[in-house]
Amino acid sequence: MTGLVVTGGGALCARGIGFAPIAAAIARAGVAEGHPSSDSREPSTEPFPSGGGHPLADFDARRLLGRKGTAFLDRRSALALVASGQALQDSGLSIDETNANRVGVTLGTTWGSLKSMSDYTRESLLADRPYLVTPANFPNTVMNCAAGQTAIRYGLKGVNATIAGGALAFLQVLAYVANALRCGHADAMLAGAVEECTAHMAWAVHRMEPHGRIDAGEGAAVFVVERSEDARGSGRHIDLELKSVTTSFSPAAGRSGRLSGALADCIRRGLAKSDVRAEQVSFAVTSQSGEDDRDRIETEALSMVFGNAQPERLLIKKIMGECLAATGGLQLAGLLVLHRRDPSRDGRISLFTGWTADGGVGAAIVRGWSRVSSDSG
Amino acid sequence: MHRVVVTGLGPVSSIGVGISAFSAALRAGRSGISPITSFDARGFPHAHAGEVHDFRPDLILRRLDCASWGRSTLFAAAAARLAIEDAQLDLDTICPERIGVVIGTTCGESTVIEALTAEILEHGFDSLSPELLRRSSGDQLAHGVSEELGAAGESVTLGTACSASNYAVGYAYDGLRHGDAEVVIAGGADSVCRWVHAGFFRLGALADDTCAPFDRDRAGMLTAEGGSALVLEALDHARERGARIYAEVLGYGANCDADHIVAPNAASIAGCMRLAHQNASITPADVDYICAHGTGTAANDSTEVRAIREVFGESMPPTSSIKSMLGHTMGAASGFGAIASALAIAEGILPPTINWRHPDSALAGLDPIPNCARQACVRVVQNNGFAFGGNNAILILGAPPQ
Repeated sequence: MTGLVVTGGGALCARGIGFAPIAAAIARAGVAEGHPSSDSREPSTEPFPSGGGHPLADFDARRLLGRKGTAFLDRRSALALVASGQALQDSGLSIDETNANRVGVTLGTTWGSLKSMSDYTRESLLADRPYLVTPANFPNTVMNCAAGQTAIRYGLKGVNATIAGGALAFLQVLAYVANALRCGHADAMLAGAVEECTAHMAWAVHRMEPHGRIDAGEGAAVFVVERSEDARGSGRHIDLELKSVTTSFSPAAGRSGRLSGALADCIRRGLAKSDVRAEQVSFAVTSQSGEDDRDRIETEALSMVFGNAQPERLLIKKIMGECLAATGGLQLAGLLVLHRRDPSRDGRISLFTGWTADGGVGAAIVRGWSRVSSDSG
Repeated sequence: MHRVVVTGLGPVSSIGVGISAFSAALRAGRSGISPITSFDARGFPHAHAGEVHDFRPDLILRRLDCASWGRSTLFAAAAARLAIEDAQLDLDTICPERIGVVIGTTCGESTVIEALTAEILEHGFDSLSPELLRRSSGDQLAHGVSEELGAAGESVTLGTACSASNYAVGYAYDGLRHGDAEVVIAGGADSVCRWVHAGFFRLGALADDTCAPFDRDRAGMLTAEGGSALVLEALDHARERGARIYAEVLGYGANCDADHIVAPNAASIAGCMRLAHQNASITPADVDYICAHGTGTAANDSTEVRAIREVFGESMPPTSSIKSMLGHTMGAASGFGAIASALAIAEGILPPTINWRHPDSALAGLDPIPNCARQACVRVVQNNGFAFGGNNAILILGAPPQ
């Protein structure tokens, strides 16, 4: 039991900006169905793979964030800034001199910005002289740029971390944030994950999974996480209670096919830590796409844990595309959205899962409430 | 709450691979700076770096296939293996789920990303090789260490730039204190690469071939690479197995400037020091030595000393920069600082700031331990780490408990 709660969030993805487009996509699709957005527009002149990708169409950082501080932002930093602003507003957590030192940020990523890193090398290689690179773009090549920019924009002076965890990043972010709050390093944390859909990222997804049918997507999802008693004291609405987060690594799993077993073990440990029995889990938000060979990892793990009594499932990638590190954040956003509009789900317990091909596995157990009723449980 | 101690040190650096070589180099004040060979540095006016020339991961690693992992991951894994050997820790005696790994980095597998960029330039995006892509992501650094050690606990890569390994040691410490793990290997890794060299040069932050922190005529930093790793375990666990204890982790502080993406902020750094002291339950007067961030740029060193003066007043402890020898190893840097700090306590030796010639009147009162290592009784060390993004993290180590 962590004693931690989510009191608000923000998200954007190929479906649009905010929770409403996600809610609409889930509603249209039904809980276990969905279709990746096809209305993609390339954010750059670089060619996307033939299958395309699903960037957020017409994403305009300047329009959303204003001119100040946005001239040299890369796409993932801009996505993170928008989602973070939404999260603070949604939660009602305001930042001022009294709490700025006690509010921090942790964001998950895969590479940082693969495009920013690669373009900087390219610029050096192609320039007349190898040092004639754009100085203002240099910070974009560093992994923690999005978290640093988020701190600057919203005045968050607490612990500020970046976790490069790929598909497991957001679960690792939740674990990191839970530790920061447990140890008293902060009173509230923005916990999020972000991934940009550039040509570099879309091609990376395409080339790593040439037979996969899921194209690249993008997005950011950021949540305000704080101690339950602080949230209650402040009157902020409790969307989700974070009962446990468990991440681990399974050596040689990638080669030996032990991944589903490792994930099942991880889920069982999470259930035990949360003092929750498998039959109490009514919902599972997986990183599955519904159209991919890799889906079997979570299918097998869930069947090991739940047997024939499978929880209802939401396949977030089917709606968002392959968002790598952002997938985990968008999974939680999908869950929050489902709860928010449906009081009949109040108090129900959900599992969400993630894994990486080389052996990283993770699971979180959460309990959610609607915002239709005033009772936060 | 468990007390947490450092029982193994694994440096893979330009001044030495393994703790004996590294310790001897620190004592001798050796420079690891040499002309760049890891990329074609023609056309760069400044073309020196702290590269690890004699890095032979195949001679250090037991499980990883060196051909399948990127350079930064191999640095991290080799450092971790050396740290485990130094700790004389038989990992087979520990439940794999109770062994955690936390690795910090600034640019992750930067040389792999540069190889991918070369593919894009030569043959276009559709020539990107899946094998290079697989090893390009940041999580590989921690996962490579976990794979090498057979560790099945948390496996986390912290991308908190140039203070990342202090963040890593701090996160490891918190977990051990709460009993989440029995042993955690924490450290950092980064590789010298073209884009980082170009970026720092363009910012005007690069020296030619000499890094001279705290010197009046300091000209900047030098890019560098390597892997740093520390074995951390609960005090009881270390005592039970009769381990040699270098130092105790007393605590750490981490905060963010929330001010400027690259320029350091003295008030915020001072705040981070106070936070670290408070979390470690010490006062400034307890600190015997500061292992500085000390990049050797005009801005860093003056800002850092201003912050130290703000917290310590006129009694600033001896403060040296091992970056004068190593260059700036980025994500590995504060891990090397933590190793040097643990050695300072265990061996009673303060590492020097080499290349120091002229006092800087703006840094009056600072004792940079110029040029020669010094014997001292060291009970408490403060290890500074700052980064782009305003990510400050400061670690406090103390003498082993009696």
